[in-house]
Amino acid sequence: MRTRTPALTRRQMLRAGGLSLAALGGLTACGATNATAPVPGLAPGADPWRRFAGTTINFISENTAPTAAIAANLQPFKDLTGINVNIVTLALPALVQRVALDLAGGQSQYDVVYADPYQVLAPYAAGLSDLREFAADDSYPPLEGGFEDFIPTQLQAAGMFGDSDAIHALPYDCPTMIWQYRKDIFEKHHDSMRTDLGFDPTPSAERTWEEYFRIAKWINDNVDEVPYGTGHQAKQHDSLMCDFSNVLWSYGGDYFADGAAVGLRGSEDPGECLLTSPESVAAAEFYRRLVSIAHPGSLGWDWDGVGNALAAGEIAMAPNWHEFAATNEEALPGLVGYAPLPRGPVGTANHYGGTGIGISAMSSGARRGAAWLFVNWATSTATQLSNLRSSAGGGTPTRQSVYAMPEVQAATTRPTEMPNMLTEEAVSIAWAEGKIGLRPKIPMWNECDTALFTELSRMLAGQKTAREAMEDATSRIDGIVARGWVA
Amino acid sequence: MSADQTADQNTAARSRDAGDAGIGPTPVAPSARQHDRGRTGGITFTGWMMSPGVALLGLLSLIPLVMLIMMSFSRVRLLGGLQLEFVGLDNWIRAFSDVELWKSWVLTIGFFVSTLGVELVLGIAIAVVLNRLTRGRGLLLPLILLPMFVAPSIVGLLGRYMLDPTFGLYANLLQGLGFEQDVLGNPVSAFVAVTLMDVWEWTPLIALITLAGLSGVNPSVLEAASIDGADEWKKFWNIVLPSIKPILLVAILIRSMDAVRYFDIISVTTNGGPADATKIIPVRLYEAAFRFFDLGYAAVIGIMMLALTIMIARLFVGLLSEKETH
Amino acid sequence: MSTHTIATPRRRSTRGRGPGGIVAAAFLILALAWTVVPLVWMLLGSFKGPGDVTASTPQWFFEPTWRNYENLFSGANNLATYLNHSVIAAVGAAVIATVLGTLGGYGLARTAFKGKKGLSFWFISTRMAPIAAVVLPLFLVFRFAGLIDTLPGLILAYLTFNLPFAIWIMSAFFEAIPPSLEESAEVAGCTRWQTFWYVALPLTKAGIVTTAVLCLVFAWNDYAFATVISGPNSQTLPIAATQLVTQTGVDWGQLTAIGTIVVLPMTLVGLAVRKWLVTGLTLGAVTGE
Repeated sequence: MRTRTPALTRRQMLRAGGLSLAALGGLTACGATNATAPVPGLAPGADPWRRFAGTTINFISENTAPTAAIAANLQPFKDLTGINVNIVTLALPALVQRVALDLAGGQSQYDVVYADPYQVLAPYAAGLSDLREFAADDSYPPLEGGFEDFIPTQLQAAGMFGDSDAIHALPYDCPTMIWQYRKDIFEKHHDSMRTDLGFDPTPSAERTWEEYFRIAKWINDNVDEVPYGTGHQAKQHDSLMCDFSNVLWSYGGDYFADGAAVGLRGSEDPGECLLTSPESVAAAEFYRRLVSIAHPGSLGWDWDGVGNALAAGEIAMAPNWHEFAATNEEALPGLVGYAPLPRGPVGTANHYGGTGIGISAMSSGARRGAAWLFVNWATSTATQLSNLRSSAGGGTPTRQSVYAMPEVQAATTRPTEMPNMLTEEAVSIAWAEGKIGLRPKIPMWNECDTALFTELSRMLAGQKTAREAMEDATSRIDGIVARGWVA
Repeated sequence: MSADQTADQNTAARSRDAGDAGIGPTPVAPSARQHDRGRTGGITFTGWMMSPGVALLGLLSLIPLVMLIMMSFSRVRLLGGLQLEFVGLDNWIRAFSDVELWKSWVLTIGFFVSTLGVELVLGIAIAVVLNRLTRGRGLLLPLILLPMFVAPSIVGLLGRYMLDPTFGLYANLLQGLGFEQDVLGNPVSAFVAVTLMDVWEWTPLIALITLAGLSGVNPSVLEAASIDGADEWKKFWNIVLPSIKPILLVAILIRSMDAVRYFDIISVTTNGGPADATKIIPVRLYEAAFRFFDLGYAAVIGIMMLALTIMIARLFVGLLSEKETH
Repeated sequence: MSTHTIATPRRRSTRGRGPGGIVAAAFLILALAWTVVPLVWMLLGSFKGPGDVTASTPQWFFEPTWRNYENLFSGANNLATYLNHSVIAAVGAAVIATVLGTLGGYGLARTAFKGKKGLSFWFISTRMAPIAAVVLPLFLVFRFAGLIDTLPGLILAYLTFNLPFAIWIMSAFFEAIPPSLEESAEVAGCTRWQTFWYVALPLTKAGIVTTAVLCLVFAWNDYAFATVISGPNSQTLPIAATQLVTQTGVDWGQLTAIGTIVVLPMTLVGLAVRKWLVTGLTLGAVTGE
C-alpha cells in the first residue's frame, strides 16, 4: 500500500473539503440542523407507550420472514402506540445501498434499520445509535428481560462491533444453515443405502461431508422420486460464500487468523487472509466436487432456489436456512427432516445469518423515540411468539425466554402450529459455541465477499482449480483489507 | 468544418429526406439563419427560447460532472456528511492497473459486438421480409415492435421467469433439446441469455430503422437489376445494402450508446455472474459505487464510460454532417 | 410514407412467390413467436394461481384467476401508491421535458450562433451519458438539496435524459418545416413568438406528441435512477416488481401481474405514435416510415 504524509493529506483534505462545500453552496446546513432535535419529553403520568402517538417512522428491512410477519400484523403496534410505521422491504444489496446512502447525507429517511452485521453494522456502526441509551432511560417502557434475554452469541454477533460495549442492534432474525432432507426418501431407501454405502445414512451431526457427498451421489444414481441428491445456493452471489463457509470451517480453514473473534465481535483490521492454507484449499476442492454432482440449477440459485427445489421435489437434501421450515411444511407436510450440518475433519460449522434492527443515529425528535418503541416491540417476547404463528412465514425467536415457553417447546414436534420450531433440535446444536459459523465482521467485508464468491464461481465454472481460486481470492482480499476502510 | 455548415446539417438532411418522400420543398434554411443573425445586441429570440432548458440541463449535468471529476481524485467519506479527501491520482492508478476492470472492458466490448451483431442481422432480415409483404403489414409491424416498450428491468425479470430451471418455459424447451444445465448458471449460456434478452428488446428498433431505410431504395434501380438477371441476394447485397448503409450506421451508433447506458437487464438477472461472465462495465461501476462505496474509484470508471460515450456521440454527429455533404 | 404507396404495386408486379417466399414466411412466423411468446407467457402467468404459475410442466391451459391483481392492490404494500408515483414522476418528467424541449428545440433549429455545434453536441452526449455515471454524483447533489425520496427529485433525475432528448428531437422536427412559411408570416407582421405559436407549433403537433410519448416511456421504464433516488415516499412500479424477488422466494404470479401493469400502457401509447417512432428513437437522424 502506498504511504502518504499525514500532514499534507490533512491540509489537502481541508482544501478539497472546503472546495466541495463551496460547490454545494449552503446546502450542507440543512442536514446538520435536522439531527440535533431532541426527543420530546414524557409528560408526568402519561402512558410511555403512547407518548409519540401520531408520529410516522420508516423501517427499512431486507425482505425476510419476520418482516413479512410484522408487516402483515402491524395493527397491534399502532393500537398500542398510535405510531405509523412505513415498512420498506428490499433485497439485501439494495437495502445496504439505501442505508449507507441514507447515513451519508445527514438526513434520516429511515429511522429503524435492518442492520446486517457484515454489510451495515460493521461499516456503519458509527451511524447507528447505542441502544443502551434508550434502555437506561426511565421515560421509555422497559426492555422486557433486558439485553440478557437475547441469545448471547446472537447479541454479540448481530448487535455489537469491535471492542466497544455499545449495542447497536437487537437480534431480530437468526436464519442458520442446517441440513434439510426428505425424511420419506431417507426412510424408504435407508436399508439399501446402508448396505451400499456402509454407514447409517440418516442425517445427524455424526455424518461427515464426505459421507454427505456419497449419499448425494447414491441418490442421483438410485432414487427415482427426485432427480438429484443435493442442491446448493451456488450462484455468483453472497449465498455462495455462505454455503462454502460451512465446508471451509469444518475442514479447519478460515478467512483470517482468530476467525471466531473476528466473526463474533468484528475488527477493522483482521490481518492477513488465510484462504491459501492447505485446509482451506482442501475445503474448496471438496466443495467443487460436491457442487459438480449437485442439481445443475445450483449454479443459478441464491437465497431461495434451494428451498424451492426441495419443496418442488427436485432434490432430496440441501444445506439451507432453517427459516425455510415453514415453506417446507406447507409444500411437503411432515416430509422434511432437520439435522445439524455434517462434520469435516475438525468439526461442524453451521453458518449463522442473523441480523439485528437498530436506530439511525441521525433519527431525531419524536421519530427517534418512536423508533425505539418499535424496536422494543418488534423484538419483544409477544411479537416473536406471534411471528412464529404467522401465516406470512414468520421468523424464529432470538430471545431465550421464548424458547422456554411451554407452548413453544410443545411446537417442536409435529403436529405444530409453529413450523419453524421443528428445527429447534438442529439449531440448538448449531448455535452452540464452536458450532456456530460466523463470517468475518469487518467493514470491508462486502468487497472481500464479492472477491471470494466471484473466484468460487470461477472455480465452479471450471475456469480455475481450487488452489488457483483460493490464491486469487486471497490476493484480492489482502489488497482490499490493506486499502482500509473509510466510511 | 465551420459552425454554419453544422448548423445546417440537420435542416438539409431533413429537407432532402422529405424531398425523397415527395412532400418536402427545396431547402431554404439559410434565409432563416440570416434572419436570426439580423437581430444582434443582447440575447436573441432563439436564445430566450433555449434558455430555460439549457439552464435546467446545465444544473442537472454540469454540477454532477464537476463532482464526478472531483471525486475521481479523492477518497470519499460519506458518514457524517460528505467529505472529499484529496488523494491525487490514486484512484486512476488503481483503475488502470486493475486487471479485473480491463477484463470487464473486454467483456463490455464483446457484449456490444454480440448484441449489436445479432440485432443487426435479425433486424435487417425482419425488415426485408416485412418490406416484401403487401398485406398484413399493418397488423404484423406493431406486434414485432412490442418488446421495445417493455421496461428493461421487466425484460430481465421475465427472462428469469422463462429460464428458471424448474418451471421456466424456455428452460423446459431447452431441457427437451438436451440442455440440462441452468441457463443463467453457466458462464457461456448466461452470457448468451443476457445477450438474447437485449436482442429480444432491441431488434425491433433495428428492424424499424431499416424499414425506414428500405423505403428510400429506388425501385427503378432494383427493377433494372432484375432485368439484368440479378438474383434476390445479389440485389440485396449490391443495391439495397449500400443504399441503407448510412441509416444502419445511425442505428449502430444509437444502439451502442444505449448499450453503455443501460444495465437493468443484467442487474436483475445475473448481476455480473457466473464467474464474472456478465460483469460489464456499468455493472462494475454500480457495484463499486453502491455496494462497496468506493466512490472515488467508481468516479474514475464513470469518467471512462463518459469518455467512451462522447467518442461515439462524436461519430454520430460526424455522420450527420457527412450526410449533408454528400 | 408515400414512397411505399408508390413503390409497392410496382414491386408486387415484378416479384414471384417462389421458394424464397416460403422461407420468408417461415422466418416471419418464427420472429413473431420469438417476440410475442414471452409477453403472452407473462400475461398468462398473471392470471395463474400459485400452483400453475410455477408448475414444472408449463401450463398453457389453466383456471384463470384475478387473485394476483387483487393481492397487488390490497394489503400493506398497496401497489396503487407505487402506481401513483410512477404516473406522477413519468408524466411530470414528460410534460416538463416536452414543454422546455419544444421551446429549446425551436430555438436550436432557428439559431445560427457560433456555439451551436457545441451546444448540440452537449445535448446529445448528456442524453446518452451512462446512467451509472450520472446517478452517482446526482445522488450526492440531491441529498444536499433534500430531493432524495421525493417525486420532484425523481422528475428532475428523469429530466437529465428526457430534457436533452426533447430539445434535440424537437429541433429535428422544427428543422423539417420549410422556413418559407415562417418568413411569410413575419412579412405579414407576426412577431417571432406569434410565428412560433401560430405557424411552427401547429405544424409539429405530431412531433410534440411523439416526443411526449417517448419521454413518458423512458421515464416510466426507468429502474436505475429509481433504485438510488426513490424511497418509501416515491417508490415506482419497476422497483416494486424487483421487490417481489424476496429472500424466501419469488411470487411469480404477482410479478407477472406487475409486469403486465408496467408494460401494457407503454405499449399502447408507444404503438399509437409508431409512425414517428423511428424519427424519435434515432434522434431525428432517420425519417419515419
